[in-house]
Amino acid sequence: MRRRSPSFPATARTPLAVLGVAATLLVAGCSSGSGQGGSSATGGTPQQGGSVTFALPPNATPNWIFPLGTPGHLAGYNSAIRQNVFLPLYAYNGSSGTVAMDEKAGAAKAPVYSNGGKTVTITLKDGLTWANGQKVTTRDVEFWFNLAKANKAQWGNYSKGDLPDNVAKFTTVNDTTFKLDLTKAYNPEWFTANQLTYVTPMPQSAWDVEDASGKVGDYDRTTDGAKKVFKYLIGEAGKLSEYASNPLWKVADGPFTVKEFTTTGQVTLAKNAKYTGDDAAHLDAVTFKPFTSAQAEFNVLRSGGVDYGYLPALAVSQQKTIENSGYQVKPWNGWAITYIPYNFNNPEMGAVFKQLYIRQAVQMSIDQATISRVIWHDQAAPGYGPVPQQPVSKYLSQDQKNNPYPYDVNKAKALLTSHGWTIAGNIASCTKPGTGADQCGAGIKAGTQLKFSLLTESGSTETDNTMQELQSSLSKIGIALSIKSEPLNSVLDHSPECKPNQSTCSWQLSFFGTQGSWYFPAYPSGEQIFATDGGTNLGSYSDPTADKLVKESTSSSDPQAMQQYSSYLAKQLPVIWMPNPAYQVSAIRNNLRGVVQDPLAFMQPQRWYLAK
Amino acid sequence: MIRFLAKRLGQAIVVILLVTVIVFLLLHSVPGGPARGILGPQASPQAIAAFNHEHGFDKSLVQQYWAFLSRLLHGDLGDSYTLNQSVGSLIGQRLPKTLVLTGLSTLVALVIAIPLGVWQGRRRRGLTDYTVTTLVFVGYATPVFFLALILVIVFTEKIPILPPQAPQAQTLGALFADSRALILPVLAGAIATVAAFSRYMRSAVLDNLAEDYVRTARAKGASERRVVWLHIMRNSLTPIIAMLGYYLPVLFSGALVIESVFNYPGMGLLFWNAAQTSDYPILLGTVLVIALATVIGSLLADIVQALVDPRVRGSIR
Repeated sequence: MRRRSPSFPATARTPLAVLGVAATLLVAGCSSGSGQGGSSATGGTPQQGGSVTFALPPNATPNWIFPLGTPGHLAGYNSAIRQNVFLPLYAYNGSSGTVAMDEKAGAAKAPVYSNGGKTVTITLKDGLTWANGQKVTTRDVEFWFNLAKANKAQWGNYSKGDLPDNVAKFTTVNDTTFKLDLTKAYNPEWFTANQLTYVTPMPQSAWDVEDASGKVGDYDRTTDGAKKVFKYLIGEAGKLSEYASNPLWKVADGPFTVKEFTTTGQVTLAKNAKYTGDDAAHLDAVTFKPFTSAQAEFNVLRSGGVDYGYLPALAVSQQKTIENSGYQVKPWNGWAITYIPYNFNNPEMGAVFKQLYIRQAVQMSIDQATISRVIWHDQAAPGYGPVPQQPVSKYLSQDQKNNPYPYDVNKAKALLTSHGWTIAGNIASCTKPGTGADQCGAGIKAGTQLKFSLLTESGSTETDNTMQELQSSLSKIGIALSIKSEPLNSVLDHSPECKPNQSTCSWQLSFFGTQGSWYFPAYPSGEQIFATDGGTNLGSYSDPTADKLVKESTSSSDPQAMQQYSSYLAKQLPVIWMPNPAYQVSAIRNNLRGVVQDPLAFMQPQRWYLAK
Repeated sequence: MIRFLAKRLGQAIVVILLVTVIVFLLLHSVPGGPARGILGPQASPQAIAAFNHEHGFDKSLVQQYWAFLSRLLHGDLGDSYTLNQSVGSLIGQRLPKTLVLTGLSTLVALVIAIPLGVWQGRRRRGLTDYTVTTLVFVGYATPVFFLALILVIVFTEKIPILPPQAPQAQTLGALFADSRALILPVLAGAIATVAAFSRYMRSAVLDNLAEDYVRTARAKGASERRVVWLHIMRNSLTPIIAMLGYYLPVLFSGALVIESVFNYPGMGLLFWNAAQTSDYPILLGTVLVIALATVIGSLLADIVQALVDPRVRGSIR
């Protein structure tokens, strides 16, 4: 599925890493480790300056700095790092305790919506300047829009109908204020959180050039010119080894500038001495250090080589050792949901999956609490619906919060037997076909057996164990689950959205595993995953009520819309809800303070500081 | 000799071409192509079409192969889909680092294994032979990741005298400047290799000990030292040389596990990660390098063997 920003979670994912960590545990045993006897994580005097090393997840190599990412360059820590150099118009993060707009981390004041949600007026912050001394103005925002519009096919975040298509007109009011006329009314929260966050003012006075001559003009104002400028900037962005030296990227307006950006992925951000906003960095430098495996990172962490690292999933039992070495160990929870889509178009089982009572029975057979506690060592949390269960937000309905289908195998079994299924030899067979209340349901023939096949990601012990647990509990209600493990890319390839007559439609259930949680943007609406025409509605789920609720959540300004959507889908079960693993289990050195583990997987290192 | 070299060179070019054809066909016959893997499931059909067009996946296989080949003949291995760099520059960064690691490991292994094999051959079936054989077998049987981790835990935590990761520098000079950090990865790589080479050496020495020329040398009054280290060792090196030649591709393809454990991004990891992310240009580029190393390795093995062993010389014409 998708990780919104960093594309690889840090926990041990590859078979190699798993083997490695298992071996460490064997060798190290359960020794508590003498460590360096760390200081406490509280108290102390905050100090200015100093540098911090942050461990990047395995093979997450930052490789893009330009605010418009081309396909293939959206992953990694690119946007998390870039946001500290080039401020987005709006930033959302978890610094307030829940996912919300963080005005301090953006370039503009809160937007004002008018005309029934069809017009938005935005004023940039006063006094924000680029490193070349020029003011950040509406021209810099217009520059972004011009480039995005002329080159949308090459912009990796582009989705038809969304930004920039949904902005009919960009009007400059003055140097700091501009107005966007939208093509239709949108839910202001959705538009700000999921669309305007993509907009990043870019230094037109330095970047509006067509070629290496560096002559600045208003080239972006014609489509042809905007294409040339984009081509030039993309070309420069392709020279990874020049990121730290190319004068283009020096024109920053964020609290940091790029000091080092190696081709192997090590990035050092240095405090931007010319930053004029109100969110200046405390630290002098933050180094993002790449690692080849979670095991390699863990070895360095154990010897105190990083200030902010992570524990591979299998090493969570070594928490005490790491704590004794002077770190706090904290899960970093993601703004995500984890699920297994049903393929409603599968010619064999589609009709079965379409029965709500079957989906209810399946959901009630999954002991999410035990899976989270035992298999995930409490580093995953049960999820009951389409909105992230944690942190609690205003989008979460009571129905989803309270789990409408608690674990109850007997009830699940009764649901099947009361609908015309007879369980013999651990397999349920339809003995009462038909559409009556006590019959199997439309499209299910007599003798149909509940035999599901599940495609799952290989290489993760937690995923393997979870699938085994699923197989075992489903067998208790007469559902035989056959599991096939494949590498993640292969799973993705083999479970496309499909029509029943297509050969690609043979998949029934698909789990993208620990790397496959769906990370939402700040506004967790489901137009991509649960709307009939959603781009990643892999199982072809289609429900007119769900479509209506999804539409309302993105286009009406009713604050209840998201809750209604959360409640309806929590009960309708378009997918199997699964425990959502933490983004990573972090180890933060005790004297590093001010860290908020942002559920959106961004970072605000400008607020980190070292305490004495 | 020149005729032999020309013939082998011709064969090498054919072999490399065949390898590229096979790998290219295998990769490009994967249904769906790499777009889904690279762009993720959220990619729109337009984005996938744009990706496929940009990288030529909408053309016929023959056209695609021809485009690849003509780029290759111009020295261009293409650009990585995921790493924002050309394959040539990626290999240029990784290969020297990998060769330092694997080359040093092999060198260390040879320096230990050759005398060890000779020594064991001379003292066969004695207590020391059995003890060394047991130790060597343990070293050989221990999975490299486990061995690497034991080394890390012992030498960085229990007795903290060495750093837990390989040198992180970008240049070879800086890499050697931090030579302490090279000790553990080189050692981890060397231990298993010692086992393999020393066993070959031991059995070669055993074979040679029974040869007539050894008896003749002894009968002529040559000292035991001269018999062993000059006559027997030289003759026993033949299998090791042959093995070393075929070991060349191993040196070039990197040491995935060691690179992974010691945070040392080399060729092994480059290939492994590219395979995971369907980064075809990297896969093709690294396979090409390894194929090249294989043919050069076998050629070198033949030549060196001819230099060492006059009996082989006759067959090289």
